Amino acid sequence: MDQLKLTRRQMLRMMLAGGSVAALAACGTSPAAPTAPTDAPAAPAAATGAPAQVSQTGSTVTITYWGSFSGNLGEAEQAMVQRFNESQSDIVVDYQFQGSYEETAQKYTAGLQANTIPDLILLSDVWWFGFYVAGAISELDGLAQQAGLDFSDYEPVLLNEGNRQGKQFWIPFARSTPLFYYNKDLWAEAGLPDRAPETWAEFGEWAPQLLQREGNTLRRSAFVHPDGASYIAWLFQGVTWQHGGKYSNDDFTMTMTDPNTIRAAQFYQDTVRDLGWATLGQDINRDFLGGAAAAMMASTGSLAGLTTNATFPVGVGFLPKEANFGCCTGGAGLAIPSGIPDEKKLAAMTYIAFATNTEQAGAWARDTGYMPVRISTKQTPDMVAFFEENPNFKTAVDQLPLTRAQDAARVFVRNGDQIIGKGLERIIVNGEGPATVFADIDAELTRAAEPILEDLREVEG
Amino acid sequence: MRERREWLLFALLIGPNLFLFGVFTYWPLLYNFYLSFVSWNFLRPRKRFVWFENYVDVFSQAQFWTIVWNTVIFALFSVGLTLLIGLALALLLNQPLRYRNGARAVLFSPVIMSGAVVAVVWSYIFDPRYGLIDQLLGLIGLNSPNWLGDPAWAMPAVIMVYVWKNLGYAVVIYLAGLQGIPRELYDAARVDGAGPWDRFWHVTLPGLSPVAFFLSVTSILATFQAFDIIKVLTNGGPVIATTTLIFHLYDLGFVSYNAGEAGVIAIVLFAIMLILTIIQLRYLEQRVAYS
Repeated sequence: MDQLKLTRRQMLRMMLAGGSVAALAACGTSPAAPTAPTDAPAAPAAATGAPAQVSQTGSTVTITYWGSFSGNLGEAEQAMVQRFNESQSDIVVDYQFQGSYEETAQKYTAGLQANTIPDLILLSDVWWFGFYVAGAISELDGLAQQAGLDFSDYEPVLLNEGNRQGKQFWIPFARSTPLFYYNKDLWAEAGLPDRAPETWAEFGEWAPQLLQREGNTLRRSAFVHPDGASYIAWLFQGVTWQHGGKYSNDDFTMTMTDPNTIRAAQFYQDTVRDLGWATLGQDINRDFLGGAAAAMMASTGSLAGLTTNATFPVGVGFLPKEANFGCCTGGAGLAIPSGIPDEKKLAAMTYIAFATNTEQAGAWARDTGYMPVRISTKQTPDMVAFFEENPNFKTAVDQLPLTRAQDAARVFVRNGDQIIGKGLERIIVNGEGPATVFADIDAELTRAAEPILEDLREVEG
Repeated sequence: MRERREWLLFALLIGPNLFLFGVFTYWPLLYNFYLSFVSWNFLRPRKRFVWFENYVDVFSQAQFWTIVWNTVIFALFSVGLTLLIGLALALLLNQPLRYRNGARAVLFSPVIMSGAVVAVVWSYIFDPRYGLIDQLLGLIGLNSPNWLGDPAWAMPAVIMVYVWKNLGYAVVIYLAGLQGIPRELYDAARVDGAGPWDRFWHVTLPGLSPVAFFLSVTSILATFQAFDIIKVLTNGGPVIATTTLIFHLYDLGFVSYNAGEAGVIAIVLFAIMLILTIIQLRYLEQRVAYS
């Protein structure tokens, strides 16, 4: 390129070439969003020592399974699939990582248009309902019966969420709840008792001792909130209940302007702006592990990853109370697309039955920190021993009976999670008044709920 | 007979490209026009025709105008800084310096890196508590702003990363342009008694005008499509401080699943880029000195 003399024609040609490069660049793959917890290698998942059973070698059914786990969660999921494939010879599960929960749902939506869908799919709490309303996932009761799956042993609070009009559409698998995490070293340094605060008022008293300031900069905050993209609206759900508020009623009427809901938002704003002991971070696990925040609320699904990667002892506790206790469930479950052959549906259900049986549900919970979805899992010797070794995990499981399903506004309204999350960002980051912002959010949620209600009337009458 | 053969050859040569353009460019363009007039969430079987409802909805949202403003700021500063700093660096690297080739390679390397990777690395550099910038500012007794968490600083941060990533490309194009300016012009200028400043102003700059023009057109088009860095670095936030039109399109289409409103944004983007390109070709190019 040591001579560059341009004529007008060459100029235009170069521009065309450059333009198409830009166009190509624009349609490059979207970067994988930094998915949940930590990406460090986890402890090796349970050894797969069991010899493969040699059974009748008929025709093998291969099913494709789309999931959202990477890092140590991904390894645990791969191990689960491998155990299944080695346990029998009729079905081969092909696990395919799709990105975050959102990206998995995006790809499924695109797949429905293009008619290339998986046979089994992991859908998060905010996504399965949309696909149910669109008729894109199968009713599972008949299949469960064929596969010999008994729903009565599942944790009712988790199972019932995937049930519409007495029919099961979504089976709990990687279910979690928020949990209060704290850095025991910093707690000791501040001379605090080794436990999570019982109320927010108590934490408010502790917080100043946990802070570290340098001039006007907060070097270490007592607490960190995630941003909208990292599901602040999920963690705030419990906080609204604690204040006596809620996002919406069951009939999809919004209650964002309820004085108690607004009070909860005011509290969130104060923690960052007036009281100044909390920050809003893009990656709360990173802040917590790096010592930039002394405490946080985060998913139980992060428990294994955080415990492995922290350079300090990690403490956990129930969420703090305000007027009352409030904690919601979350995470993801398994669904089977409609519009695939029955044979594949049954194969997918066979995998679900395996992955959520008493033993495997325990192995998955121990590998990750997600809740054991089966009641009987808690009594297995492996689990009892694990609880003894990991009291933190016992705490997470003990909190489960106190939790309940989230409000419709977040989980059933398309994008409701992000609408509320952006609203909270306006309140916390921009410092706008909670009443004004939540009035906007109430209207936006109401508008977003309209098409869902319309479809729901058609589906459920 | 001969004419027919030529036509056949013409069709053969043009055909494959025309087919690809048709399928991947023109058809989506037309289909997008259609989508901007319907209400559809990608999942429902029916698309309801709503005339201009999507347009009214998009234009009446207060945040739309903030987003347009964000886009203008992002494009203006990204392109302006890339062109100016790129020119300065190209002039410097055109001097017979030691390690010149090494410096050129280092400068160009961010161009070939993935935008997502660049953004992840910079998110650590920007961290106000343990980031590199904070450490450097600490040396002179300053505190780092909360780059990615403060609505006032997030856009400057995104622009910095974008310029850093794309600077090398501008420099290489400028360098090629500089080497294309005939030696004789400088010699003649020198004979006429022109100093370094005059030589720059009257020989280098006009000589560079075609490549500067080329860079300005392509960079502007590219900034309007810049997505990866914003997605990973700030995800359009905090709130909507770094949401540009292309990001808004993604947000509406693939996060909110509102195909119609996303279609409207695509049309707006298309119109803006078309108008900008026409203006640039019509007016700016008159001032370009082609050899």
